[in-house]
Amino acid sequence: MRKSLPQHALGLGLVALLGAGLPSAALATVSETERLNELQQKLDQSLRMIDALATRVRELEAKETATAAAVAQKPAAPAAEDAHRIESVEQKIAQIETANASHRVDESSLPIHGFADVGAGTHNPLNPDLKGFNVGNFDLYLTPKLGDHTRSLVELNVEVGDDGSVGLDLERAQIGYQFGDTATVWLGRFHTPYGYTNTALHHGGWIATALERAKFLNFEDHGGILPNHTVGAWATGAVRTSGGRVLWDVYTGNSQQIIGGVVDMRNAGNGSGNLMVGGRLAYEFKSGAVDGLTLGLFGFTAKIADDQLPVHETRLRVLGAHVVYDTDAFENMAEYYYFSNDDLSGNTGSHKSQAGYVQLGYRAAWGVPYLRYERTVLDQADQQASGGSYHRGAAGVRFDLDIKSALKFEVSNTRDTDRLNDQYNEALVQYAIRF
Amino acid sequence: MQFASNAFRAPHRTGRAGRALALATLLAIAGLAPAFAGDVVVICNLDVKLAPADVKDVFIGEKVFAGAVRLVPADNTALQASFLDKVMKLDAGKYTGIWTKKSFRDGANPPPVKANDAEVIAFVKSTVGACGYVASEPAGVAVIAKF
Repeated sequence: MRKSLPQHALGLGLVALLGAGLPSAALATVSETERLNELQQKLDQSLRMIDALATRVRELEAKETATAAAVAQKPAAPAAEDAHRIESVEQKIAQIETANASHRVDESSLPIHGFADVGAGTHNPLNPDLKGFNVGNFDLYLTPKLGDHTRSLVELNVEVGDDGSVGLDLERAQIGYQFGDTATVWLGRFHTPYGYTNTALHHGGWIATALERAKFLNFEDHGGILPNHTVGAWATGAVRTSGGRVLWDVYTGNSQQIIGGVVDMRNAGNGSGNLMVGGRLAYEFKSGAVDGLTLGLFGFTAKIADDQLPVHETRLRVLGAHVVYDTDAFENMAEYYYFSNDDLSGNTGSHKSQAGYVQLGYRAAWGVPYLRYERTVLDQADQQASGGSYHRGAAGVRFDLDIKSALKFEVSNTRDTDRLNDQYNEALVQYAIRF
Repeated sequence: MQFASNAFRAPHRTGRAGRALALATLLAIAGLAPAFAGDVVVICNLDVKLAPADVKDVFIGEKVFAGAVRLVPADNTALQASFLDKVMKLDAGKYTGIWTKKSFRDGANPPPVKANDAEVIAFVKSTVGACGYVASEPAGVAVIAKF
């Protein structure tokens, strides 16, 4: 392409020369001198034209060279820009992959979840006679993926007893068949479905807002007065309505036994064949002004024996109600228990007892402050009364350091009113995680 | 003349569109597409029949079956913030908290987490009962709702 311009110029020059020569042949009769002069002029014109064309060719060549150089240099800038953008995108991909790695859940067929907590206090949360630092619970629960309808939940808890000894408890071992959204039937050992705390906030310091639960709801081997666990069958489900859900539970299992003063759930069955039977019915509002409110009723009965000679047997009847208001701003809850126990082996008759608590929490941007009041009035003439009556007031705050860890502080005052007639204050701190 | 003019310009427009498409693809692969997209499209495997009002319950584990099909929701890291804000009305902390409690109480497992739209679409297409959310409507899936 670059060579075609001079060729055009020469062609044009030749055409000009030829064009200039053609008229001279037609003027053969003109004098020799005039012809020579005329030819000289035309030759001069042609030479000027050739010079002009040659100049134009040089200009065009220079311009084309500059354009070619510009074209040759231009890709360098975009290449650098693209490289920068690619590097930026690669960095973002790496950041996202890193973020995903930290957010990914366990997608294996055997997901493992758990909680752990440690703490310190002027009194041990489980044993007010101890103070200083303490190890809480290390709780593992497995939720294997078994199929569309079969479900399983196994929970192991490594805990430090109120005497400082370390023990391993099989907290739950349940296998269930899920018929649909409305019903699942479990067999095995499960958290007895009464009230709210026992199933929703059973183990794991992280899962509960408060550092401590109500004292009377403590676990069987930590002074609790209720059968937190049952070995048996449990049907549970939810029925959706236009404004919320009806939650229901029906269960039966081995009647517990009191062994060494501790409620035992009889993992391998009981000698008497007595069964515990119970149920819970609740409504969870999911719209309108009461969105987040749950109202529930529950009850259970069992024939409880102890390990004394002669054996004491009691017909245990428990009725209760719970209210939970859980929203973006509030976490309020209250539970009430009414006991009506009959002495089946002695002549002490019927015994009425009550227990309950109210806890109010507010989800502020910086943390969750809460207040709790607990009260039990337990008939000490009841052979199976395994706890004393008390008042307790507590105030605390929870700080979520990130989505998997929380730091809690709580101060409380406890006043025993019958069995021990004691009073003490507590200041506690707990660091709890989930994984 | 107008036709001829447009025909002349067509290669230019195709070139820009091609570059835009390539860039969008690259960004989608990198998980950056949501930053430029406003929509959240909830999709499910073609065998799933689901009402838009059920979406929230599916993603917090309260609706587990659609007829006889067990639902398998999946989260999309690249679009999760928009999804939680527009659809679930939850922040990430509360969402994970709900699943932690749900898992502890009922033995349910939280949704698997996919990195971006491409992963979600592949998962939904290949998994019976799967549901997910993406930034734009893909082919070959059931579109449940757009938010």
